[in-house]
Order: sequence, then structure tokens, then C-alpha cells
Amino acid sequence: MTFLGKFKYFGLREKFVLVVSMVIISSMLIISGYLIKRQNEIYHQELVSRGQALVTSLAYNAEFGVILESQSDLEELLKGVSRADDITYALICASDGRVLAEIGVDKFAAVRDNLAHTEDEPDGGKYRQRQYFDHEGTEYIEIRYPVQTRKQQLSRENLGSVFDYQARDYGSDTEIIGEVCLGLTMANLREEINRSQSAAILLTLMVVFSAIIIMTAFVRVIVHPIKTLVEVTDQISKGDLSKTVDINRRDEIGLLAESFNRMIESLKKSQQEIEEYNRNLEQKIIERTHELEDAQTQLIQSEKLAGIGQLAAGVAHELNNPLGGILGYAQFTLEKMEKKEIATLTPKDYESFKRYLRDIETQTRRCKTIVQNLLKFSRSSSKVEFHDTDVNQVMEETMTFIEHQLVMNQISLKKDLDKNIPIIQGNPGQLQQVFTNMIINALHASPSGTTITIMTRYLPPLGEFPGAIEIYIADQGMGISEENLKKIFEPFFTTKEVGKGTGLGLSVSYGIIKDHGGEIKVKSKVGEGTTFAIIIPLEKKAVAVDKIEIDK
Amino acid sequence: MIQTAQKSILIVDDEEVMREFLSEVLEDFSIEKACDGHEAISKIKEKQYDLIITDMKMPGISGEEVVQFAKKTCPNSKIIVISGYSSLFSVGNTMRFGISAFLSKPFTIKQIRSEVEKSLEGEKDRESSGEDYHV
Repeated sequence: MTFLGKFKYFGLREKFVLVVSMVIISSMLIISGYLIKRQNEIYHQELVSRGQALVTSLAYNAEFGVILESQSDLEELLKGVSRADDITYALICASDGRVLAEIGVDKFAAVRDNLAHTEDEPDGGKYRQRQYFDHEGTEYIEIRYPVQTRKQQLSRENLGSVFDYQARDYGSDTEIIGEVCLGLTMANLREEINRSQSAAILLTLMVVFSAIIIMTAFVRVIVHPIKTLVEVTDQISKGDLSKTVDINRRDEIGLLAESFNRMIESLKKSQQEIEEYNRNLEQKIIERTHELEDAQTQLIQSEKLAGIGQLAAGVAHELNNPLGGILGYAQFTLEKMEKKEIATLTPKDYESFKRYLRDIETQTRRCKTIVQNLLKFSRSSSKVEFHDTDVNQVMEETMTFIEHQLVMNQISLKKDLDKNIPIIQGNPGQLQQVFTNMIINALHASPSGTTITIMTRYLPPLGEFPGAIEIYIADQGMGISEENLKKIFEPFFTTKEVGKGTGLGLSVSYGIIKDHGGEIKVKSKVGEGTTFAIIIPLEKKAVAVDKIEIDK
Repeated sequence: MIQTAQKSILIVDDEEVMREFLSEVLEDFSIEKACDGHEAISKIKEKQYDLIITDMKMPGISGEEVVQFAKKTCPNSKIIVISGYSSLFSVGNTMRFGISAFLSKPFTIKQIRSEVEKSLEGEKDRESSGEDYHV
């Protein structure tokens, strides 16, 4: 991983310290580098100027000494100069190169002669200058200046002007009689520079160090509350709203902490509200559930009552019709018999009486049927014995009773019984009643020339679905209107002519299929026909027919 | 007797027994029968009956519709309603429907005869008063 890659994993403190240190160090390097270089230049220049001044002054003062070739005078002169720190050596030569006086040269002779030196630098006209280094790298500058004298002879007249330093510009009519050579060392400068460098490094280190301390403290001031914030945030995310951020400051972090605390407060508040709301909601749900249950109970009760009322009204109507006939004919017979003496009754009268009595009988039977159906209906919810039932067989038996009626009404029958349907637990008698009712209904709805389809089908178990048997009875008759479709399972609902249907068939069938744990579904379109689907789920005991055969 | 024999009565009921019974009881009148609302309406269209006796609950067109149709087409015809629902008609409803009488099944021969006579006599009274007015 690159440094930059690692950088982002550093903490805030490390990042601050690193960046600030780098900035400080680099700026210190640049600044001190520049200063040292500048100092070096200035010092160098100063040294050179001092050297030049010295060498010039020496050259002037040495004029007579050189003329007189007075070694002692010249040495005295050099001694005075060599007291300066940076003067390493000095010598005065005659024009022919003979050394007239020297000081400190012996120490440097080897260095001077052996070491490579730079070319003479003609500087400031008469100065000749060269630089060289010893094996320690110390730089030396050697400056030479010619010792001059006037061409004219020195005389008493001009003697005064000879000593007049300012007036001794000899111009072109001068003569070079020797040379002063001055060796200057840069060691002091080196030392100075070294000192400066050390000082700069020390200063940099101090600045960096103090910067790190300050940074650390400052970052601590920033990071610590952030850490606190992080901790509290963690707690909050774990659902603990009890803690607050305890930072008592006026700066941005203080403000952040404050607003964070406000956030916690409002979180707490809304959490409490939610809890309160939940509690209320629960309470409300319980209350509503109770209300609903009550309402449902009431509704069921009133439905039951309404149902009973409806049933009673239906029974009354159904019974009243035949009773009307019975009462009427009975009275009529009585009336006629009272009007005439028995002896005077004609055969025609007898015929009438017979007819009346037959009607009374028929109507009474009708009443009996109604009452029986009613009893069946009321019994449909009571327990009936269930045993192994082959639905296909029940259907076949049913068909034997009805087939001739179909033929008479010119209705063809399409039978499609699934041989693989399993044995179910059921009551064959009741199922036969249901099938008969449905097929008769279909028959009554069917115009001649149409087809009634009867189909059985096995729906194998699938997941939670325990499997079921479906029985379809479909006709191509007039269909049932949507409005009537809702009522067909209601007791006494009938569209048949009075006397032809009691309006109990489907409701009884519905009860029977419910007893079998199943349901009846109906789909109808006016003018196209009606399909009834009876779905009876398999009991656990039920075993598929084909399996039984295999076992046998 | 000759006068009453001229009176025409339409009996509307889907119950054959009831139709037969009524026609025998009211044999002195000119009787016509309809077995449902549809037939009744087509008969009312053709002829004005003095009295219409109709059942209420019938397949297809109900007795109520027959009554409404009769009231519109021949307001002079008297109407007696007979029904298996005893609670169907209160006195108020009878008035509202503008029918002469309501009989709930089963009714006695006496009841039907008296109601028939009452409604037909009422007719006669009104007719005679009408004649007086014209004269």
C-alpha cells in the first residue's frame, strides 16, 4: 500500500502532525538554506573586501621597506596585520620574486603549492586573487597586490606627499617594485555557517517539536469531543438514548455537541411518542377488536334472526299456497254437500268431490314434502356418519335415476369421470342428494338440444393443500343473473314455478358439502349456462384408489 | 244473476290448484285465467275486466307489476290481491296500491266471495252515480 493509501487510515492527530511537521520542516529548510547561502555570500564578500583593504594598505606601507629591502621593517609590518583572525599568512616579495618578508607561509606552503587552485581572478584591476581548498575542504583566498613606487626620485620636496596616503595616486608613472600576498582563511566562515546550520536545525526541531505539542493538544481538543460524539452515537445506534454529549464549549464543536444533544432529546421524545402511540394503538386495537367482535356477534345474531324470519316467511308462503287449496276445496266440498242431500247427489257431483279430495291429497303431500325438506335442512348441520365413499360410483348411481329424464327432455349428457380419484370420507346418501339436486337444476335450466357435462377430477396434494376432489356439473341453459347468483344458496330462493321447487335444494346441498369440509362454487352467464363446482378436500385417511389396487 | 254473470273476472296465479279452485267458487262470473304475470298483462291489454284477482309472488312478472299495469291501463278494473305472505299487505298498503282487497292464503270461500261481491258492488254504485251525473 502506498503512503497516500495508508494516509487515510491515520487518525486526525497523526494527519495534523504529519502535515504540519512537513510544512514547517520544508519551510525552515528553504528559509535557512536561503539565509545561510546569503550569509555565506556576504561573509565572503566582506572577507574579500577586508583582505583587499589590508593588502592595499600593506602594499602602501611596504613601499619603503621594499625599496630598502628591510626585512625587519617588513616583518614588523606583517606581524601587525597577522593579528587578525582570518589572516592565515602574508608575504612580501620583491619584483624579482624574492621573498622579502613572510609570516605563517611555511605552514601553508605545502598546501599552497600542491593543491589545485583556481585561476587568478583579476578583481578590481590590480588585485589578483585565487581560491583553493585544503584536504579538509577549508577554503582559502589569496589576494595579491603590487607594491608600487613613483618613477621620479624621491626628494625632500615630494617626501611629504609620499606619506600623504590620499595623495599617493601615482597614476601611470609608477613602477612595480614588489608584491604583497595575503592568505585569508574561510574557516571562520565555515564555522559560522556550521553554527548557523546547527542553529537552523535546532530551531526547526524546536519549532516542529513545539508545533507537534501544540498540534497534539489542539487535535486532542478537537478529537476528544469527536470521540465522545462517536461513542454516544454508537450508544444511540444500539438504542440507548440515556447518554448525552458532555462538552461545554462555545466553539463549533460545542455547537455540534449542543445540536447533537438536542437531536438525542428529540429522538427520545419521538421514541416516547411512538411508544405511547403504540400503547394507545394496541389499546385501540383491543378496543376495536372487542367492538368488532360484539358487532359481529350482533350481526350474526341478527343474521340468524333474519334468517329465521326469512325461513319462517318462506315456510309460511310455501305452506300457505297448498293450504289455500286444501282449505278452499275442503270448504267447497262441505258447502256443496250441505246444499244438497246425499240422495240427490249426481255422479257429476261425485266426480267433483273426488277431484277436490284428490287436490286436497296432492296439496297435503306437497305440504309434507316442504316440511320434510325443512327438516333435512335443519338437520344438515347435525352429525351424519361418514365412511369410505367413491364419488364416481355415487355419481353413476345418481345418473341411473336421472338419465331417463334427460332423454325425455332431449338433453344429451357428457360424462367425464376421472378414474384416479381417491376414496374419500363422506356420506354417499347425502352426496347423492346433492348431485341429484344439481343435475335436476341443470336439467330444468336446459332447453332441449343442449348438453349437460358432468366431470370429476382429482387435485393431488400440494404443499399445505391436502388435495381434493372436484365435481363439475355444467349446463348450457339460461344462466343465472348476477343478482340471483348471490341468493341461490339462501333457503326458499327459487326461480321455478311455485310447486316445482321448494327453494331448499341448493341450501341443503350447500349444508351437506360444508359438512364434508368442502364448498360449492358457481359460475354463470345469462344465456350461456351455469357451472357448479363441488370441491371436497381429501381426509387424511383417504388413500388413492390406484394405490389400493397395487397393494392388492 | 244475469247481471252478475256479465261481470268478467281475471284470475292470475301460478298455482293451478288456486286457479281451479277460484274458478269453481266464482263459477257465476265470466272467468278467465292466467298462469303468470306475462299472460295476465297480455290479457289485460286485450280486454277490460271488471275484477282482477292476482297472486303476488310469481315467476317472471310479479303480481305487483300486474297491479301497476292494470291500474294504468284500466283504472276502472277492481283488483283483489291474494298471497301466501300474510304480512305483505297492511290496510295502508292496500290503500296505497289502490286495490280493493287483500286476502292472505289460505282464505275461506266466504272471504273470497264477500270481497268479490263488495268490490263489484262498489263498481256498480260508482257506475250508477256516474249515470246520474250524466242524466
